[in-house]
Amino acid sequence: MSGLSWVIIAIPACAAIASWLLPARVMRPVTALAGLITAGCIIAIVIQTARHQGPIDACSALFLLPIAIVYGAVGLYTYWYVVAESHDTAAGERYRREFLTLTNAFACAEVIVPLVTNMAGMWVAIEATTIVAALLVRLQGTPAALEAAWKYILIASCGLALGLVAVVVLYAAAIPALGAHHQPEWQAYMHAAKRLDPDVVRLAFIFALIGFGTKMGLAPMHTWLPDAHGAGPTPTSAMLSGIVLSDAAYVIVRFAAISNAAVGPGLTQGLFTIVGLLSLFLAAFFLLQQSDIKRMLAYSSIEHMGIVALGFAFGIPVAVGGAFLHVVNHSASKSLAFLAAGRLAERYGTREIARIRGAIGTLPISGTLFVVAALSLAGMPPFGIFRSELMILAGGFTSAPWVTAAVLALLLVAFAGITRWVTATTNGTAPAEIRHGESGVFPIAGMAIGFVVVLGLGLVVPSALSSLIADASVILRGGR
Amino acid sequence: MINVAHLTIPEAIAGTVAVALLLVQLSLLRSVVLAELITLYALQSLLVALISVAVGVIDHSWELIALGVLTFVAKTIALPLYMRRLSRSVSTRVEIPKRINVTLSLILAAGVMGVAILTAGALPLKTGEFFPQADLATTLSIVFVGFLVAILRPNALAQVIAFLTLENGLYFGTVTLAPGLPFVVGVLLLLDVLIAVVVFAVLVRILVAEEATASVHVLQQLNG
Repeated sequence: MSGLSWVIIAIPACAAIASWLLPARVMRPVTALAGLITAGCIIAIVIQTARHQGPIDACSALFLLPIAIVYGAVGLYTYWYVVAESHDTAAGERYRREFLTLTNAFACAEVIVPLVTNMAGMWVAIEATTIVAALLVRLQGTPAALEAAWKYILIASCGLALGLVAVVVLYAAAIPALGAHHQPEWQAYMHAAKRLDPDVVRLAFIFALIGFGTKMGLAPMHTWLPDAHGAGPTPTSAMLSGIVLSDAAYVIVRFAAISNAAVGPGLTQGLFTIVGLLSLFLAAFFLLQQSDIKRMLAYSSIEHMGIVALGFAFGIPVAVGGAFLHVVNHSASKSLAFLAAGRLAERYGTREIARIRGAIGTLPISGTLFVVAALSLAGMPPFGIFRSELMILAGGFTSAPWVTAAVLALLLVAFAGITRWVTATTNGTAPAEIRHGESGVFPIAGMAIGFVVVLGLGLVVPSALSSLIADASVILRGGR
Repeated sequence: MINVAHLTIPEAIAGTVAVALLLVQLSLLRSVVLAELITLYALQSLLVALISVAVGVIDHSWELIALGVLTFVAKTIALPLYMRRLSRSVSTRVEIPKRINVTLSLILAAGVMGVAILTAGALPLKTGEFFPQADLATTLSIVFVGFLVAILRPNALAQVIAFLTLENGLYFGTVTLAPGLPFVVGVLLLLDVLIAVVVFAVLVRILVAEEATASVHVLQQLNG
């Protein structure tokens, strides 16, 4: 790893250690700063990579972007959140310290995944995100949070066990080509792909898809996701949805690339189609019946991960490129949606959609940003998700028209689900006892990061990002 | 198919240990006493630690021997002791779902083991030094039966033990199928699991403190 890669890992790691040692009043601004500096370093490494001068490849760079967006936004948001969620007591101070420590540690584990080249190392980092996130979810202190944390760590850890089987099976398959004592690095496997046994590579990909697909929230392995995203603290939900899902998608892409290089794209495209359609189907119908604002967003995450999988399944460059762009768009839109929803939930004292009325009147900026994020998630122009979904659908109509027609129908159902609940929160007037007006500049600044990306990527895709997407698409097809 | 007549003595011993691992895993489904489950886990951990040392000796790999010793200390001694302490405050018996009793769960386990053996048998993976052809089948069988235990035993501690035995299966697979996996990676995997267990334990403690039970039936608030 290069010096800059180590810096990107070291910043949240140091922030986590400092958060444990220093008072929260010191670490609140430091965490905000850590998020912004990490984001800056990631953007620097991404630009280097787009110019083919970076120490990492396009795929790693692309999957670092969600971390820049979400950790940058969450760092600022947390400045306000930890105070809003705790009292000025010893217990409150303990909560703040634990929350800041775990949030920074969570970011550290998340950033390691796209930076590390060792596949077993990737597994360790992904499992580490599970462990830290379970503790963060539990910090809410409610019975629902305990249930969500338990289900999350049990289901995700058991699922990831299959991910490790995939790593071990791939290692065993590579012994004849790379020797009994090789490093399990994905570059080495890509180089040796043609010499790996096809059946073993197929098995490894199947296990990887089930194992890491559990973390990615793909149906039918998604059952932990609505609970953890719904019951966890708001910044944690944003990081789970905006980063962890894309981290897991990254690992699957690496396995898919090796599989495509070794045995061709038939297997990966077939399996991506199945899990993508299933995820989209389940999410679309569950979106129609949600009453909890955060669970609604959680099901929307399942929907969008299904769309990403389908983009990979369609196989042609425009769809695959759309899927990569969708990962970034989804991270920005979903983190914005969670952070804005968290502001509404805090002000109204509830997550029940039916009890949130007149959101824009009560919180003019947060309420408006929530609507923007929700419209983006529903696939409306001029936001980024509209562009990436259009690319995926355009590719789909060329390669698999009937599947794409089904996708379009399911997207309409999801659209109806999201817009129905969002209009419910903005209609009517808030109860008289609800205070009006925004508080705090930091959370608004955090949400502004997401907003700029959501809108910006809808209007224009920077040439550096286009270049990365094109390179990453080649990697997924098994090229180098 | 494996021709028993052509097995060498180390291969025969290795095969016996693999069968013992599977029997221990199946016994988890038969047992309804928490202390017994913990003992079975300790026994299984001892077997995988021995396998790690044995493969290390055959391969002249001090790293695998060191991992075996670490595994013995962590999983055969420390974790079972910790689990016993944790289990003192809860009911000693593990409830069995009425619809899927012990017999039915053993039949299901036989089914998933059959799937594991057929899957592994169809692959040309014969790189394992320990017991070629049976390494992957054993690994997958332990993992799949571990899943079954986690699903069919609605008790937090039993589910933790299921996860731990499942991890033993993974460790067995790592040692036998990928003995050259770097030492650092092996230690990281072990550390990761230990930390996961600590988090599991924290959650179990909270569950017992708040709900006065280790039954996960109380965790059914979130639906839909």
